[in-house]
Amino acid sequence: MSTLDMTSTHSRPVPHPKRSLITRLHMGTGVVVGIIFAALAYYALKSSLLTYTDKVADPLTPHTDNIVLLGSMFAWSIGFLVGIGAFIGPWRWMIGKDLTDEEILYMAGDGQGIKRYFKYCTDHKVVGIQYLVGVMTLLGVGGTMAMMIRTNLARPGGHFVTATVYNSLVGLHGITMIIAMIIVATGPFGNYIMPIMIGAYDMAFPRLNALSWWVLFTAIPVLCSAWFLGGIPTGWTAYAPLSVQAGPGMNAFVATIIIFAVSTAVAGMNITTTVVAMRTKGMKWNRVPIFVIGSTISVALAIPAFPTFMLAMVQTGLDRTFNTGFFDANMGGSGWLYANLFWIMGHPEVYVILIPGVAALMEIVPVFVRKPLFSYNAAIMGFAGIAGLSVLVWAHHMYIAGWAPSLNGPFMVTTEMISIPTGLLFLVLIGTLWRGKPWMKLPMLSVFAFIWDFLIGGITGIYLSDVPADGYLHGSMYVTAHFHFTLMGAALTGAIGGLAYWYPKMTGRMLNERAGYISFWFVQIGFNVLFLGMFMAGAEGQPRRVMDYAAVFAHSNMISTIGAYGVGIGMIILLWAVIHSWTKGTIAPMNPWGAKTLEWTVPYPVPLTNFDELPVITSDPYGYGKGK
Amino acid sequence: MADHIEQQLAPTPGERTAIFFKRTDVVRTSLLFIFWTAVFVVLGVVFYPKWMPLVMSTELKSAEAIMVWFTVISAPIAGLVLAITSNAFLNMHRGDTPPPDGPAVRTNGPVVAVWTITSLLFALVAIIWGLTEMNGQAVAAARDAKSAITVEVTGSQWLWTFNYPAQGIETHELNLPVGVPVVFDVKSADVNHSFWPVQLGVKVDANAQVTTVIHTTPTKIGAIDVKCAELCGLYHAYMETNGAVMSKDDFNAWVTAQGGHNA
Amino acid sequence: METPTQSEVSGGKRLVSAIAFLVLGVAVVSTVGFTLHSVSADSQKKSYATVNGTADVNGATLKHAFVSESVFPDDATARANHVNRTNTHPWPFYTEEHLVLPAHSLVTMTLKVYDGGEKLNTNYFAKVLGTVDNTMLVDGQQVSSLAPDAVQHTFTIHGLPTSTQDSLFVNIPLPKMSDAEMEKNGFHTVVFSFVTGGAGEYVWNCEYPCGDGTYAKFGAVMGQNGYMSGKVSVVNG
Repeated sequence: MSTLDMTSTHSRPVPHPKRSLITRLHMGTGVVVGIIFAALAYYALKSSLLTYTDKVADPLTPHTDNIVLLGSMFAWSIGFLVGIGAFIGPWRWMIGKDLTDEEILYMAGDGQGIKRYFKYCTDHKVVGIQYLVGVMTLLGVGGTMAMMIRTNLARPGGHFVTATVYNSLVGLHGITMIIAMIIVATGPFGNYIMPIMIGAYDMAFPRLNALSWWVLFTAIPVLCSAWFLGGIPTGWTAYAPLSVQAGPGMNAFVATIIIFAVSTAVAGMNITTTVVAMRTKGMKWNRVPIFVIGSTISVALAIPAFPTFMLAMVQTGLDRTFNTGFFDANMGGSGWLYANLFWIMGHPEVYVILIPGVAALMEIVPVFVRKPLFSYNAAIMGFAGIAGLSVLVWAHHMYIAGWAPSLNGPFMVTTEMISIPTGLLFLVLIGTLWRGKPWMKLPMLSVFAFIWDFLIGGITGIYLSDVPADGYLHGSMYVTAHFHFTLMGAALTGAIGGLAYWYPKMTGRMLNERAGYISFWFVQIGFNVLFLGMFMAGAEGQPRRVMDYAAVFAHSNMISTIGAYGVGIGMIILLWAVIHSWTKGTIAPMNPWGAKTLEWTVPYPVPLTNFDELPVITSDPYGYGKGK
Repeated sequence: MADHIEQQLAPTPGERTAIFFKRTDVVRTSLLFIFWTAVFVVLGVVFYPKWMPLVMSTELKSAEAIMVWFTVISAPIAGLVLAITSNAFLNMHRGDTPPPDGPAVRTNGPVVAVWTITSLLFALVAIIWGLTEMNGQAVAAARDAKSAITVEVTGSQWLWTFNYPAQGIETHELNLPVGVPVVFDVKSADVNHSFWPVQLGVKVDANAQVTTVIHTTPTKIGAIDVKCAELCGLYHAYMETNGAVMSKDDFNAWVTAQGGHNA
Repeated sequence: METPTQSEVSGGKRLVSAIAFLVLGVAVVSTVGFTLHSVSADSQKKSYATVNGTADVNGATLKHAFVSESVFPDDATARANHVNRTNTHPWPFYTEEHLVLPAHSLVTMTLKVYDGGEKLNTNYFAKVLGTVDNTMLVDGQQVSSLAPDAVQHTFTIHGLPTSTQDSLFVNIPLPKMSDAEMEKNGFHTVVFSFVTGGAGEYVWNCEYPCGDGTYAKFGAVMGQNGYMSGKVSVVNG
């Protein structure tokens, strides 16, 4: 592998490769070529489909608007990748050559300063920062939409926005946050920190690493275009046949998911291979840091899960364009088919989101309590058990769908069983806390918040998994509150803890502590108030995703809205802290927390190949504590 | 405190237990355990009966019981987790240098085993409870099939319509006689909806071309709200209608007023 | 153990920067919100009912209010009938979106309908519901329902029945025009009256699946506010 040859060259300036196309391509050329591709596809499809545009009474006439829009969106994505130079390597291979060593080094962004963040850069640390900025942008956009939703629901009959806008807010908030949460820990930390943690020079497939980010990047404008195409009425679940019926904005959703699924497949494969194949000498499986284990299990779970969502979206796209009727019961299809495909992805997916967040916190606790991680094996059993069971529980989202009621019992059994591996995660955390004196720094605070939030999320999950209780609660605000406790209260809190913990290594500076504390309390108190109100509304009987509600729900909704504004203020403060500390924070020492994992043995800025000489590992990184 | 006790010379098992329960952190955690357990018990017993609507069917009654009792049963587990966590929180170390190292406990076999078995038992209680309830509802539905009245429910964007075939009426209000088992045959004229008569505590999706069925028996007279619990497009929020559980005489009078005939 | 070196930025400057950022953040989010709000509100021109005299309904004397609407298959037909309108999409539409009606009144609504039609998804909407006597006048003739395949649109008012406001449910099926009549710009005049309760906010929409959609004949026009849907405000005074 040619990256290995770069070991000794990282410190001296390297001349740019002469006459190479690579040096001239960047995000700007990507956008230009992407727009050109999209425009070409638009006009080509539009003119070639003219014959169909007459309003023929035949219900099987293709829907040209949808074909043109979908085609243009995919063309944009491919065009952008062409324009940023993603296919230069594969093209060279095809004609029997490869990139020169100089080009490879150039692609790694060596000596290019801030410019490399806007290029097809293969350095895992650059990709990690790209993901971090991308995630924060998505969370900001999704959070803004959440504020709009809560504003509209502040009082009954509010009508702050119209139903079209409200439904789009709900759907786009959902999908934006889901995408953000899937990559929130494995994107920034999985890419930046994890290869250093396992003592590798880079990821196994550096070019695929860049590809996974830039493919994801192309999905963002596509998703945003939904707003200008009339929005989406379906929520993030995009249930068919509502999604088949929906207006042109739905095409943006379909294209986004297909593009995003490509990105996760590439990233998942890359991370898994890196961890399996590139651990440094001595890092046996029982010495691997728990964050690495968690992230790997998470992405490995995503690899089989997302293709089903992609498939469901391909079918939705075909139903919307060529009247294939996969999900149209009037044509012999079935909406239940969609629901099954969706939740076969959807339930593993929530654990894809959750596990890296928990794993990040498990990495943090031993450092701040100065005790070994309690029962490393139980942690792995917990993750593995959750991952294993999570593929067998999807139909608990369909207890009341009417599809196979006789399967409700078996799915209830598997779902309730998940509380056992989940319990192990709690045991690991509290076992490590027991008899410790936690060092009350920002990352540690997240651990406490996580335990409270995930406990509430977990217990309410037990009622929801019980069929008779779900008969009442399903589709109500109660469900919304439950999954926000797990996805936001647990997974996002874990990721924020991870950010506070690894921030010094990723930026060279400490995250502003006072702002961090203020933000923490605003977010956590606001969050609990917000979703306590939503539990009330759900228990009272308010359905999810409604733009208006009866007066009996007025109090609980007002409580929720007040809490939401608290979360919003806290998040803005956190964003300030992240941006401000990046350039103006106190300079961080190499190992500010006194941790024992490998990423704290390298200086900032981290050298291009991380280590001059790969370290040799003789024990796991949790050798804290005195006595036996 | 704890460290001091650890340094004593090999005590007998009985002494060790006695010492264990005298440790300050153990005492404090125990008190916190009682506090948090009580919090969750109170939360379960107070929150749901206060916030849930009037229980007007056996199904809602069993749903509410599950929520109350599962909270109470899980209270000790939640209490233990939160006791240890809040004890650690109170024990915090501030400052710019890390705290002194804690004991190097890497695992504790019996603790892991007891924890796992306890959570397994807890899961089993939840499973058995749920399966028993489901079975009871299925048995009741089969038993009542003959005496039940049938209501054909159609969801369309964005209105519920109710057809009472035996009475020969079609309405957009759901009125039911008290104490008579009812079978809802639910379908959709277009996209998916979810039929939710809130106070009856049951719910089933409305799908195109397929009929889904739920059973219940209204047990109390009062108003019911019928809502749609599956996002169905623009005016999903307004796909609500009202109805009532009424005495048999009132129901018959209502049917007659609608131009139907009493079976 | 290394300790972090001190920051080069003073505490006061940091505080100013943080507060400025917070204000900016709140301003950005609010701007997005109010932009969405005003974009939505633009299409909500209000049409006020005019009160003219009183009417006796079931022995009670109520204010009598009048309001009118038209339904066109597209904006070209509207312009041909001297209704000036330019729409973004070539969709059928109601001319008035936000009706403001007086509370506790008899409201008589006159609808001129110009569109053709097909078959309803749900036959129930072919019934006249919620009006005085559950009937309407179609070109002067009293009817209580239409054939489900002779409907062009429906005018249906919904509220949240569990709300503390009075419930209001009205459903008017509108008779379709034949193709030949549409060529000649023909229309039906539908007149109906209903009684409003106390003040409240309601919505109206069409329940006829219009717009050549990809599923259940439910086109994009049915999924967006402004063409086949709107609001009804019942106000005091």
